[in-house]
Amino acid sequence: MEIELKEIDKNRWLIPKKGNMRVPGIVFSNHQLIKDLLHDQSLLQVVNVATLPGIVKQSLAMPDIHWGYGFPIGGVAAFQMKEGIVSPGGVGYDINCGCRLMTTSLKASEIRPYVKDLISAFFRNIPAGVGSEGAVHLSKQDEAKVALEGASWAVKKGFGQPEDLERTEDYGALDGADPSVLSDRAIKRGLDQLGTLGSGNHFLELQVVDHVYDNWTADRFNLFEGQTTILIHSGSRGFGHQICDDFLKEMTAESSLTDLQLPDRQLVYASLTSDRGRRYLSAMACAANYAWANRQILMHLAHETLITALSISPNELNMKLLYDVCHNIAKKELHNLDGQDTLLCVHRKGATRSLPPGHPVLPQIYKDTGQPVLIPGDMGTYSYVLAGAQGAMELSFGSSCHGAGRSLSRSKAVKMAKGRSIHRELEDKGIIVQARGKLTLKEEMPEAYKDVSQVVEVVHESGLAKKVARLRPLGVIKG
Amino acid sequence: MTKTIPQYTILDHTADLGVSITGSSLIDLFENAGRTLLHLMFRIRLVKKADLIRISISGNDLADLMNKWLSEILYLYAGENLVVTGINIDSLSPSSLKATLKTSPFNPKFHEIIRDIKAVTYHQIAVTDENGIWTARVIFDL
Repeated sequence: MEIELKEIDKNRWLIPKKGNMRVPGIVFSNHQLIKDLLHDQSLLQVVNVATLPGIVKQSLAMPDIHWGYGFPIGGVAAFQMKEGIVSPGGVGYDINCGCRLMTTSLKASEIRPYVKDLISAFFRNIPAGVGSEGAVHLSKQDEAKVALEGASWAVKKGFGQPEDLERTEDYGALDGADPSVLSDRAIKRGLDQLGTLGSGNHFLELQVVDHVYDNWTADRFNLFEGQTTILIHSGSRGFGHQICDDFLKEMTAESSLTDLQLPDRQLVYASLTSDRGRRYLSAMACAANYAWANRQILMHLAHETLITALSISPNELNMKLLYDVCHNIAKKELHNLDGQDTLLCVHRKGATRSLPPGHPVLPQIYKDTGQPVLIPGDMGTYSYVLAGAQGAMELSFGSSCHGAGRSLSRSKAVKMAKGRSIHRELEDKGIIVQARGKLTLKEEMPEAYKDVSQVVEVVHESGLAKKVARLRPLGVIKG
Repeated sequence: MTKTIPQYTILDHTADLGVSITGSSLIDLFENAGRTLLHLMFRIRLVKKADLIRISISGNDLADLMNKWLSEILYLYAGENLVVTGINIDSLSPSSLKATLKTSPFNPKFHEIIRDIKAVTYHQIAVTDENGIWTARVIFDL
């Protein structure tokens, strides 16, 4: 299928409404980045999402868009509550995969001699890799509490501080979680994985604030040039995967696929007003809350590791959570539709919420600045901190990109890395890396990703979020 | 229960991993698909002790059945810590599958992990027959 792309301006492209599309598509991208999309099926996935019932305005793609399953990764779509749907494939398997950034009082110049030791200490203390088990083993009763309470459960257990909660999207817990809808398999898989990083593109990164673009906002975010920061990327682990898989299978079994007229089976859905749709949202909220508890515990492990490895006091380290954002979710949010505040179900599949200054949902600490938007890049270049901007409310249902976005498949990356030592190449650039997986470093090498700086530039110029600071990696652990 | 390395082709997918698997019959295809999944995930050095388990799956059609079959093998590892070391499909129809699986408790000494496959997606999943050659296309979430 040939997909027509019309340039709206230098950062936006229109896919006109055709065939079964209920709304047009909009792709945030520039002339350079759009070239990558012409060779895979990501634009077709934008079109497919546009055919789903109850979708409003446009099927959107953020500038880190790449080929996923069902929705494109970087896809955003909002649905009316009465006629609309929720799609487990539109949220993804790793429900509330997301990241959190912590600031410290340490200057990177002070810790530079110890980076290798610190990365080894993180690697020892933070469970990572396939099927790794965490330091926290849950009873079924406690797992249900995690599913209901999210990050606050972890804080009550001594992992972090109460003030971390207002620095977490949705205060670290989505409403509507109901553990009674979970399968035995999901419950079983959640018991031993709390406080684990996972595998694939999940990581913990030690960083330095390399450049500040907006001093006023950086000051309010407690960011300064030369500062040490820590970024964690992880999600709901096997618990979230099982919940997604359970509901995909249930919806597939119970739906007449012909009646749904699905362009892709992964887009199977339930009506938002149906019992199945409501149960999925309750189960999804359990996984989202589990993920927030997970990242809260990972942050605590990072804190303890730094204090011990550097032999410093908590006051000297002064680690503070800047913000925790979620990447894979469906949430009921108020958005302006035809001049009216309307409750919509916004799916973000590999996208970050981006709320502007003054938004009523924001905590007081970020009311003037807008929400911190965290954009991790690949392990060899940069990550960015942005602040949510008004353009996101007008153009993208309050959303921004979530990372650099892959440009190479994993198999191509492994082929390209043949005979090379990615570990050594990164070390030559001053970045210490340790990974558990046999293929992880090759699959995740910097060339496998788009240029994060260009992706962020599209977001900044489109007014979805404004650049605040750029972070450079010093060391990374991966699963 | 055969132990041969299955025939499959890796399909390019930007974020994840796709495979095309063939078989001379439908049963051969499903057995190969199971072995392909295991070959992508593990190198099994030694099978010290194997327990037999029987599974029964139903699906809407062959593509759904393929998804559920592979998901079951994946769950045995992810949820039960069991590595499937042998596959025998006892019966297969377009809507149901019965199989006997040899399983061993996961042990990193004997089961080297090659890559983490987290889920079997429905994205572009297909099971087709062309002139007696059965082909399946499956994309895994990594």
